[in-house]
Amino acid sequence: MTNVVAPQIGDTLPELVLEMTSTRIVAGAIATRDFMPVHHDRDYANAQGAPEIFMNILSTNGYCGRFLTDWAGPESLIRSLKIRLGVPVFAGSTLKFTGHVTAIESIGNEQFVHIDFTASNDLGDHATGTAIVALPA
Amino acid sequence: MESDSSFQNELNTLIGRPPGGSGVTRSPDPVNQPMIRHWAAAFEDANPVYTDPEAAEHSRFGQIVAPPLMLQTWTMPSPIITGIAERGGAPTQSEGPSIMTVFDRKGFSGTLAVGSEFEIHRHLRLGEVISASNIVESISEEKETRLGRGHFVTWLTTYSTDDGEVVGTQRFRILKFAAGGA
Repeated sequence: MTNVVAPQIGDTLPELVLEMTSTRIVAGAIATRDFMPVHHDRDYANAQGAPEIFMNILSTNGYCGRFLTDWAGPESLIRSLKIRLGVPVFAGSTLKFTGHVTAIESIGNEQFVHIDFTASNDLGDHATGTAIVALPA
Repeated sequence: MESDSSFQNELNTLIGRPPGGSGVTRSPDPVNQPMIRHWAAAFEDANPVYTDPEAAEHSRFGQIVAPPLMLQTWTMPSPIITGIAERGGAPTQSEGPSIMTVFDRKGFSGTLAVGSEFEIHRHLRLGEVISASNIVESISEEKETRLGRGHFVTWLTTYSTDDGEVVGTQRFRILKFAAGGA
């Protein structure tokens, strides 16, 4: 395979927009083996003071990974993913990922591409962070 | 409440130790294609190196690899479904005292996840068995936050193969807070 991107500093990543249905939230929770009831049981979530079930953190990391590799392609390896968590992602909301390239380093026979990104919804920023994706040089 | 130096001293003794139980969890199953396929379907992640053997063979990785952000999933405990709501969502009965009880006793019963930091050394391959080793890395002094007074707690999870090769690390930070200013 060949690289699908030749990144430049300042490049923006294609946006990833997700309708966060209950199905999507439950599918992510179970695929990551997180059975906390707040991620699949609305009655339980309501009793905890949440208006809806909400996405688990393993799923946040999973979607961050998909957002990065959808752009960087199958030859990429995510070397670092650091997120700060903000507002929850409730069922029924829309989550949007945006990001851009901030730096590129040559290390060995790889390029380390540094990315700043945000995942936000109508309540504010759900996750803000930085990533490093390694690509073959 | 005045800041409590004996409590801070107690917190300091927790640093460098497991946050609960033995601190080490070995994955119940090796890295495997069915769980990867389930994960990729849930997140609609079409990266062919996760599920297409031919495409994976022709990639620089040479074979199927696991999604790197699946690292934490491999060592998640198998849940006991019966009674999970009554246990507050804990997947199993807790195995001995946890750092959480130290905070709960002082009224810092609220928990908010603040951040996660993964460092990934390489992709995992089918058949590898992963263990997660956890230690408390730092506990802040008492802080005023928008949720109330609390302590930031960071633990470090080191993920290794059975050969002892470290394949990645995760720093996870939570705020233990006193809701409503207890």
